[in-house]
Amino acid sequence: MKQKRYSWLAGVVLSLCLLAGCGSSPQATQTATTFVLGDTTFNAENEEPDVNPHNAYSGWACIRYGIGETLFRYTDQMELEPWLASDYEQVDENTWVITLRDGVRFSSGRAVDGQAVKKCLEHLVQVHDRARADLMVRSITAQEQTVTVVTQAPNPTFLQRLCDPYACIIDLEAGITEEGMVVGTGPYVATSLVSGEELQLVRNESYWDGEPGYEAVKVVTISDGDTLTMALQAGDIDGAYGLPYASYPLFDNPDYTRSSCATSRVFFVTMNFESPVVQDPAVRKAMAMGIDKQRFVDTLLDGNGYPASGPFPQSLSFGGDAVKAKAYDPQAARDLLEQAGWVDTDGDGIREKDGERLTIRWLTYPSRQELPLLAEAAQATLKEIGMEVVIQSTADHNRIRKDTTAWDVYASAMVTAPTGDGEYFFSTHCLSTSVANNGEYYNETLEQLAAQMAQTFDPEVRGQLAVEMSQLLLDDDAFIFCSHLQMSMVTRSDVTGLVAHPCDFYEITVDLAPAQGDGV
Amino acid sequence: MRGTKRIDLRFALLLGLAAMLLAVVALAPQLCPHDPNAQVFEVLQPPSWAHWCGTDRYGRDLFSRVLVGMQTSVCSTLALVVLITIFGTAVGVACGYWGGVVDGVCMAICDVCLAFPPLVLALALAALFQGGLAQAVAALAVVSWPKYARLTRSQTLAVKEADFIQAAKLAGNTGPQLLVRHILPHVLGPIVVTATLDVGTMMMELAGLSFLGLGAQPPTAELGSMMSAGRSMLQTHPWVIFAPGGAMFVAVSIFHLLGDGVRDHLDPRRNIYKR
Repeated sequence: MKQKRYSWLAGVVLSLCLLAGCGSSPQATQTATTFVLGDTTFNAENEEPDVNPHNAYSGWACIRYGIGETLFRYTDQMELEPWLASDYEQVDENTWVITLRDGVRFSSGRAVDGQAVKKCLEHLVQVHDRARADLMVRSITAQEQTVTVVTQAPNPTFLQRLCDPYACIIDLEAGITEEGMVVGTGPYVATSLVSGEELQLVRNESYWDGEPGYEAVKVVTISDGDTLTMALQAGDIDGAYGLPYASYPLFDNPDYTRSSCATSRVFFVTMNFESPVVQDPAVRKAMAMGIDKQRFVDTLLDGNGYPASGPFPQSLSFGGDAVKAKAYDPQAARDLLEQAGWVDTDGDGIREKDGERLTIRWLTYPSRQELPLLAEAAQATLKEIGMEVVIQSTADHNRIRKDTTAWDVYASAMVTAPTGDGEYFFSTHCLSTSVANNGEYYNETLEQLAAQMAQTFDPEVRGQLAVEMSQLLLDDDAFIFCSHLQMSMVTRSDVTGLVAHPCDFYEITVDLAPAQGDGV
Repeated sequence: MRGTKRIDLRFALLLGLAAMLLAVVALAPQLCPHDPNAQVFEVLQPPSWAHWCGTDRYGRDLFSRVLVGMQTSVCSTLALVVLITIFGTAVGVACGYWGGVVDGVCMAICDVCLAFPPLVLALALAALFQGGLAQAVAALAVVSWPKYARLTRSQTLAVKEADFIQAAKLAGNTGPQLLVRHILPHVLGPIVVTATLDVGTMMMELAGLSFLGLGAQPPTAELGSMMSAGRSMLQTHPWVIFAPGGAMFVAVSIFHLLGDGVRDHLDPRRNIYKR
């Protein structure tokens, strides 16, 4: 009897010990002089394996984490302003003279002069396909604090392209390390990097634009949104980028600060024109009419976005309802498939044609937390029209999407107009020369309009062209644009200065600092 | 005698519970109040009379999904256990009886399989097979059969030298006849106990693979994948994970207790009391 009582007691004590491990108060484990940011996207899965702006999309990491800066940048109102440059002059259609700001130094101590910028840009266009196509540089000359760039053809968006993260000015004399670390001019200096895991930064003591608020910054890659949520709650990190929308209610209290803004990031579906089933226009059109965007936004995005018509958000004159997308109409989609010969002959709810089952292989990836949810929502509504969707949600999507036999549609997220101009999206995703034309889409009229846009300086005419081109994409059902997203970053309330920006480029800046009273 | 009666009563009760569970699993589609895949209800509703387990983030009825998910989980698990029991037992009996090169090769393969942590090996195999419920079952089968083969082999080695086997040989029985008629019935007891005890464990492991995205694929309802889908709402809408989690707890508990019951029932010491 006595032994039984002791075993009960031991059980209770053990249970209490276990439960004690579950509780924790949101206290940062780092000192107040170190800021720890958790990010879901800083990894190879998002083409950001390191912080070298001349590699894939790693420039986003370089600029976001305060290592590099560009010659020009966007204000909160998305207006262009000089950053490392102080002024510019367009001498003729092809010639740009950029004057550099005095007194700016790389964190290596080297002065940012014309020669340094020339070397950096020359290396960029030499190794970076997208930059080479965007900038169209014929020659670069440098004289003290000025750089003169001559383009191969008139380039109306030249300055906007120089705001792209790939154009971060880095010190090539200091070199690029094996891990992909670079020396920039930003408020923080990269000291160590383990790709896909963490990046360590220290304050740039000789920063030109004020004193950075923290002595050190650590960026931790946490690809799983739920783990990121719990890390922020537990105090393991001080700020988070890429939280699932479902977690936002947990941080709507005085212990945390949420900074949000509308961006041009869009969830969209790319059709694979190499896939026989997708080549059928009726199938593409039925898919466009078979996805309930409104319900996806209302339920799975928790209202943190709105249904998209075309590639661009409604904040831009050529975005939002300037184009006409197909409305959700399952009955019309069913009729269309029926007319096209897709009939459910065996009564299993999925249509067939010439013995082939109407199955769509849907490729997507999980680090944008809501993309798998979009896939599953579309799977349900498309099944209602007799289309089977097989989902492959994998971090390996960048390898698979290059094999056009392995998928039928590819759902991804992209900032379509980081420069506030439409050309970026078309030139990267829709043309025969585009580096990310994953679905091998081709439309002769679109190519001609793109060529015309590339020569057009008048913003109004460019806007009209963007509308016309977007409509072509929608008429061909080459893409389905599902939703535009609100972007948010959450920090503990004792942190200030981590502010969401409409172009999604800037995160850690000189303004990031402990809240007053928590002095460094 | 009193102890025996209590065991019998408990065993009968567990058999009844297991039978009820299997009946629910068999009739799951008929018992569902709603289409388990229809995303038509208001999302994330808490449990109510209309939706006994609430609804998930897609607006699907969770009770219906739990029923169908239970069917997927239990059927896959039973298929897996039957598969590894038959295969492992066949290999073990053959190795134990004939020995020689076949025994050496099979036991070497068993050693290789047993040298890896089973779930880690299953994870690697499931990933290699590209994910999916059938692939997850296959991956777990590959890592789980050696246990049965080793157990059966050792039992066969112990039995094959017994006098009654020698007598059966003298009576003219061939090798396969000996195996099926005389050896197999003697080694089956421990195998049945192990298999029954394994049902719960295998169910958890299969759900584990699905939780990690390597098992059932959407929209198939499966308890592990449902828990994975609901984990982000553990703090805000806990019923989304509690519903499949509770079902898993009940099913695994029944199978584990039943395994214990079968072991007790086949316990030789119990038969001594009976005599």
